[in-house]
Formats: sequence, C-alpha cells, structure tokens
Amino acid sequence: MKKSQFCLAAAITVLAASAHADGEKVAFFTKNLTNPFFQVVRLGADSAAKQMNASVQHYVPTKPDSIPEQMSQIEDVIVKKPDAIVFTPVDYKAMVAGVSKMNAAGIPVVNVTDRSESGNFVAFVGANDFNLGLETARFMLKAMGGKGNVVIIEGVKASLTNIDRVRGFKQALGEFPNAKLVASQPGNYQRIQALQVMENLMQSFPQIDGVLAANDAMATGVIEAMDAANRKALVIGINGTKEAIDAIKAGKMLATGEYAAFEQGCVSTMAALRHLRKLPVVKEVVFPASVVHKGNYQPYDIPADKRSCPKWEDVVK
Amino acid sequence: MSADSKVTGLWLAFRSGAVAADLRTIGYRLSAALVLCVVLAFASDAFLHSNNLLNVLRQASLLFLLASGLTLVILTAGLDLSVGANVGLSACIAATVIKSSGSVLLGSAAGVGCGLAIGLANGLMVAVMRLPPFIATYGMLWVAHGITYWYMAGTTVYGFPQSFRALGSGYFLGVPIPVYMMFGFLALGTFFAQRTTYGQEIYAIGANREAARLSGVPVARRLILVYAVSGAMAGLASIVFLARMNSAEGDIGEGLTLPAIAAALIGGTSLFGGVGTVSGTLIGALILTLVLNGMNLLTINASWQPMVTGIIVILAVLLDTFARKRGEARN
Repeated sequence: MKKSQFCLAAAITVLAASAHADGEKVAFFTKNLTNPFFQVVRLGADSAAKQMNASVQHYVPTKPDSIPEQMSQIEDVIVKKPDAIVFTPVDYKAMVAGVSKMNAAGIPVVNVTDRSESGNFVAFVGANDFNLGLETARFMLKAMGGKGNVVIIEGVKASLTNIDRVRGFKQALGEFPNAKLVASQPGNYQRIQALQVMENLMQSFPQIDGVLAANDAMATGVIEAMDAANRKALVIGINGTKEAIDAIKAGKMLATGEYAAFEQGCVSTMAALRHLRKLPVVKEVVFPASVVHKGNYQPYDIPADKRSCPKWEDVVK
Repeated sequence: MSADSKVTGLWLAFRSGAVAADLRTIGYRLSAALVLCVVLAFASDAFLHSNNLLNVLRQASLLFLLASGLTLVILTAGLDLSVGANVGLSACIAATVIKSSGSVLLGSAAGVGCGLAIGLANGLMVAVMRLPPFIATYGMLWVAHGITYWYMAGTTVYGFPQSFRALGSGYFLGVPIPVYMMFGFLALGTFFAQRTTYGQEIYAIGANREAARLSGVPVARRLILVYAVSGAMAGLASIVFLARMNSAEGDIGEGLTLPAIAAALIGGTSLFGGVGTVSGTLIGALILTLVLNGMNLLTINASWQPMVTGIIVILAVLLDTFARKRGEARN
C-alpha cells in the first residue's frame, strides 16, 4: 500500500518541547517517523535550538517518504513564515519544486542529509554515503586479511544512499583482488528481508567470510540468520545505530559506518540560526566517514537524548 | 437447530460442485509449484538440499500465517488491507511488554490480543456499520501505522530471551518450529472451512450474501468472526516475526500486506468470494517464497528480481487458466 496514490493523512507536527518562545522559529523537515536515524537527527536539532535559545518545529510525513505529503507540508509552512527552514527532501529530485517554493517565499533554507538536486541553500550538511561504504568495506576486508568470500546486502534499489553505499563497497572490493564478491542481493533496507536473503545465500555458499550490509537493520538481520545456522562471518553495517553499537560491543558485528545523525541535526540547525544572526556559515559541512568498531565505540555509545551538540568551530575547522 | 442443519445441508449440496473445482485449482497450482521446484533443482545444486527446503518452508510459514486468516476474509468477498500494519503494531506492543514485564507469555498475549482487537474493529466496521471492507481496513491500516509510529517514536526494541526466540528460529526434531505452526494452522483452517457449519456459512456468504441471509446464515456475526480471525492471525504472525528477528521497529509491517493477499489469490481464492481454500493459500505462499529463494540461490541481479517475481506469479496462474480453457473446449 506504500505506493498508493491516496493521500489520506494530513500533516503531522511534532512540537519540540524545548526552547524559548521569543527565539527564532525553525521549521525542520525529515523523511519519516520510522527510521531511527531521523529520530536522532530531530533530537540533534532540538538540542542545538535549546542551546541557542531558538525553537524548532518538526514536519514529518505520516506516510513514510511521501512526496505529496511533504509538498503540502511545505505549503503549510510557507504560510506560517518561520524564520528559517532545515530541509531533508523525501526524494532528491521530486522535491525540487518544493525547494523553489521555499526560495520564492524568501525563507532561508539549509539542506540536510539528502542532497537536493537543485535549489538555493544557505548550506548543505550531511555525510558522504560513498565514503562510508568505501571505508567500512575497507575496514572489513582488512580484517579478513584481504581474502575470502564476500556478500553485499543492498538497500532500496533506487535510493541515492543505497546507490552510493554499494558503489563504495564495490570500489573497496576492487582494491582487494583476493576477496571475491560471491553475491549482491537486495534486502530493501528491511531486517526481515535481509534475514531471509542471507538464509538463502548460506545454502548456495558454504563459505561466506564477510557481509557488507547497506544499513544496520539489515546487518543485524544477517547476524540473526547466521547465528541461527551456527555460522560465522564478519558483518558490517552503516548508520551507527544504538543496536549496531550494542552488537559491536557484544562481538557479533565487526563495525558500522557512523552517519552522524545527531551531528547532522545539530549542525544544520546551527547553520540556519547562524545565518539569521549574521554569523559566518560555511556552504558545505560533510562529516568524515568514520568507522565505529570495538576499539573506538565508547563515544558513540551515549544515548542520543543525553548527547550535546559539538561546537561550531570544531565542526568547520 | 433442525432448521440450521437443513440450511447447512443445502449449502453442502451447493458446495460439492465447488469443492471439485477448488480441488482442480489446487492441483494446477501445486503442479506450478512443482515445475518451479524442478527448474530450480536443475539450476542450483543447493536447492534440493534438505536444509534449503526446510528454509523455504520456514520462510513460507510467516507468509502463510498472515495469509491464512486473510483467506477466510476473502472467501466472504471481503478484504483485509490492515494485516501488515496490524503485524507492525502487534509486534511493537508485544516487544515492549516483554521488555518491561520480562514475561514472554504476557507479551505474546498482548501481541495476539492487539491483533484480535484490530480484527474485531474491522469486523464491526464491515458487518455493523456496513462500510466497504476496502475502506474500513484501509482506514485501519493508517490508524494502526499511526499508533505504531507514535508509540515507537523511531526507536528499535531488541534483545529477547532465548526461550522466546526459539519460537521463531528454534527447531524440534530437526524441523523449524514455525513450520509446525504452519501445518497446524493448515489443518485447523481446512477443518474449519470445510467441515464445520461456520465454514460452510462463510462460503455461502461469499457466494451470495443475500441468499445466505435469507437461508438463515447470521451474516453479521460470521463477518465479525472472519475479520477477528484475520486480526488474531496477524497478531500471532507478529509474535513469530518478533521471535525470528529478535527486534521490533515502527516499519516492521511495511510491505507484508500485498504478498499475503497475493498468496491467497495465487492459491486460487477468488476476490469475488465463495471460491478458494486454505491449502491453496499454502501453495501460494510456497510459490512466492520459492521465487525469492531461487533468485537468491542463483544470485540474480537485484535490478531484475521484481520483474522475475512478477513474471513467475503470472505464469503460475496462467497454467491454470489455460488448462481450464482447454478443458472447456474439449467439453
């Protein structure tokens, strides 16, 4: 029913329970209420707003990643005239029309997480999916001693994040000629699908040494499948979710690529507020692709609601 | 009671022709599944291995649990679009109850209870408020999704006791536990649909609702029953899902509804009601699972997989249609 053309639900707004009423108002757009990643992005935004005495109102489509719903939310927000907008397009091409509307209304916009194909932005804040794929895969292949059978579990075929992450995986595989990519199969970013795909692949391939999953939910699905079959392989995911960190701690997962969700929320909100306060802003903040593993997980192991935003100067140095 | 049995006798007579047709359909769909197996056996060495076959059965069991209750709904010419969303909400509630109370039993009961409640609400909307099933259950889909998203707020609940996880990933005598559940519910569902008055009344409602009502079938109560069963089965499926994945998140039920409806229809159940069997649905679930299993074993490129799935589903049903046409031409 996901692709149904009905657009039944109206815009849902989650009011941030923080900040002063007299500060600037920022409208913050994320893609859905289901992905833990965006939940942490929103917490980062709230934290930054609190720190800077502003307020954030969140706009999230009730139907995950719904293009028409985000479009109507943009129209609503333009009427309300917030001081600034921080925007993740649900679709990097389809939402360009929405960006034009915000630009035409003269509201400054910061683009966060998914890079919009075009439009005028104060800044872009995000991570580099290609580098995340490349670095996590390199880390795993090194841990494998550069040789063995590797499986890729892909995300949603058409999504930008998946395209870039898988491209990164394959580039890293190219650097290790003794590692063999035996299968690259779709898990659509869903845990249950990754689990079943892995169960099937284990039948075809008696020896699998490493699994590159395009997100953490699929990586944990893969681990469940291998555990149930009493098989072992090195597994990496991407996003740096709490669940993945716990699996790394427990020695079940090798590593995850840190997608810097909290920092993306923080820094995008800070950029919007700094722009309003006529403080210098950089046009582009792309977080370096860091690999979280058993040796360095501690700083990532703090629950998102207990973290605080990094200093602007530390981010843009 | 005597009037009741007279009515039932009437419908049993009507059903005897339909049962033969249902059996023929099962025969054709089963051959389609077997053809698929033979092709896969030649294409991949791993396919016929007992581990792989058990694997296919275990994967099909999740789909079947969901689709079996749905089959009863479709038999009444109804539809339940909320089963996926129901699984999502039930699993999340079961997960949080297990986490907070530490009791697997309490959590499982909460999950099945949640599924049953959603099913009952669907049934009341369809039978009492006379809403079209598509609208009632489509609305319920959004209500359940909304509650789940709000309830989970983007978090993931994970890490359950080993005793609970055995329900999804454990074995008994070398066979996965969900597979026993699948065959258990196959037997139960088939008995219920074919051998009880309730079952016959459900077929009667689907074949001709007005005639069924005039013959004394308590239509509203039976409709509430089938939606409640469908909801409870979604609740049960959610427990198996949870035990299998060892984690729950807000989008757990996404993308489950259409495959479940497809499993019932591929298995020969008609959207117009009155025609179909629970065992057909099992074959439908097996065909869908075999396609995915085969594509993984043969490592078919991810881009082509949706298309291959579509073509095989269409071919599996075409076999039946062609055979029927030839049969009619001969007669």
